[in-house]
Amino acid sequence: MRLIVVDDEPLARGVAREYLAAHPDIEIVAECANGFEAVKAITELAPDLVLLDIQMPKLDGFEVAELVGGKTRLIFATAFDQYAIRAFEIHALDYLLKPFSQERFDKALAHARASLASALPRQEAAVREAAAARDRPLGRVLIRDGAKVHVIRAEAIAWIEAQDDYVQIHAGGKAYLKNGALGELEAQLDPGRFLRIHRSYLVNVEHVARIEPAGRDSHAAILADGTRLPISRSGYQKIRGAMQ
Amino acid sequence: MSWLTRARRGALLYLLAWLIVGAVLGGMCAIVTSAPPANALLFAIPGTLVYGVAAGFSAYYLCRANPLGARPLALVVLALCTAAVLAAFMWLAVLGGWNELCLAAGVRWAGIVQTPLLSALLFALGTLLYGLLAAINYLAIESGRARNAERRELESKLMAQDAELRMLRTQVDPHFLFNSLNSVSALTSQDPKGAREMTLRLAGFFRRSMGMAGHPRITLAQEMDLVRDFLAIEKVRFGERLVTEEALEKGALDCLVPPMIIQPLVENAIKHGIGQLTDGGLLLVAAWRDGARLSITVSNAIDPEMPETRRSGTGLANVRQRLACAYPNESTLEWKREGETFSVEIRLPAQAATTEANDSGA
Repeated sequence: MRLIVVDDEPLARGVAREYLAAHPDIEIVAECANGFEAVKAITELAPDLVLLDIQMPKLDGFEVAELVGGKTRLIFATAFDQYAIRAFEIHALDYLLKPFSQERFDKALAHARASLASALPRQEAAVREAAAARDRPLGRVLIRDGAKVHVIRAEAIAWIEAQDDYVQIHAGGKAYLKNGALGELEAQLDPGRFLRIHRSYLVNVEHVARIEPAGRDSHAAILADGTRLPISRSGYQKIRGAMQ
Repeated sequence: MSWLTRARRGALLYLLAWLIVGAVLGGMCAIVTSAPPANALLFAIPGTLVYGVAAGFSAYYLCRANPLGARPLALVVLALCTAAVLAAFMWLAVLGGWNELCLAAGVRWAGIVQTPLLSALLFALGTLLYGLLAAINYLAIESGRARNAERRELESKLMAQDAELRMLRTQVDPHFLFNSLNSVSALTSQDPKGAREMTLRLAGFFRRSMGMAGHPRITLAQEMDLVRDFLAIEKVRFGERLVTEEALEKGALDCLVPPMIIQPLVENAIKHGIGQLTDGGLLLVAAWRDGARLSITVSNAIDPEMPETRRSGTGLANVRQRLACAYPNESTLEWKREGETFSVEIRLPAQAATTEANDSGA
């Protein structure tokens, strides 16, 4: 079994290494000290199992889980007990409370071995569902680009365009492709800031400079950088209300 | 409901008092005009009761509208005198009218002969009674205000206690303890000496923080001992990511501060600042004395790309509240975020350890 250890504390990684020494069938393929490294390593190395800390710099454990989209099984290891329910909602295999004993760790591994045969898709769907059901609007959007991860603050996003199975996110003069539907992202972002002005366009109201008529019965939104976005009839009602 | 019954009882007592005044007045009338007692009482009591109600309301509103100290005293006295004279005149008119009615009825037991002497006496009494009412009202207002002040003082004391309790509850962050124990657990096999060192630091930190809870003030030097224990433990966890520096002026170290006032700031700095950086950063604690003021700043590296966390507000609010309770209107807490640095500065009166000892002895 191939495993990745993710923890920002070297000593905590040391404990995991020590406990794992008792399991010769498990190979540690990588050790990561933050969320970025973890996403990169999980994407590139496709391990069977990840021992994941939650409070980490850059990306926390749940953001890592969201980005790798259930491509691996997770065991959380943290000193915080308040995230346990959230962890099981995304079908984590186990939730270890630091400090934990070798026996407790062995049990978690035994559980992992037993369930590794079971299908991953269920977990994948659960991760997506949990991300969509978050009650707070997203403050930042995570985009995985191969093994690279972009973290984009919601304020910086000017507009988002639907493209088949992808969305194109425009922020700071750059465009990023992200998996998923526009409606899904719309549901997660702050509805006071992001308006669906068209079937294919979600716009950040704060980046809209003005609305111009375009043709006899249609309008266009002009963004601060000069971009023109079409506005549908129902979108016009929404944006007019928001801009007043 | 209880308020209603109490109000009703108050009103009944008030009317009873006026009934007595009316009876006494009736007796007086009987003597002055040598009218039969029944006639005198019938003359005096109804009018007096009416006056009690009317003058009572009038004096109450007049006193409420002119609180003492808010307006020039002469103006208040003038207003009251005018009101008293007017009220007395009206009372006289009511009594006179009632007497006319009684006389017109033509029965033996009603009506008296209203002499000028009686009228003058009644007028004087009316003004006096009105003045008395005003005085009673002012007394009630003042005592109410004193009671309010007392209650406010009690409330602020309770608030201070509450803040203290919250401090005790937050002073030991359970996650800090569990993470530290995890480090100890790791060190026991990798570095037994380090594990012992860490255990001693933990014991020192907890012993110090528990000992401090009972003291209203400690010296900055003592607080810094606690902070150093805390930082030493965190350094074992974070390794090279946590770099700390101190810039403490000598005179500042003898100054008194509320216990555990810097520790939460340092804890925040690690939790929301350095802990969020992959490469870590610098945490600086500085303190200096500036005449009668003591300034303490805690600044730390932050990730400039991180959105501002709302969570950091609670720790700061707690420290701010404790400072406000310890030094009402004499302390400030300010924080600012500049690029890659976050800093909190607290300013409070500089009290040297020796003067405090004298103060508490006095």
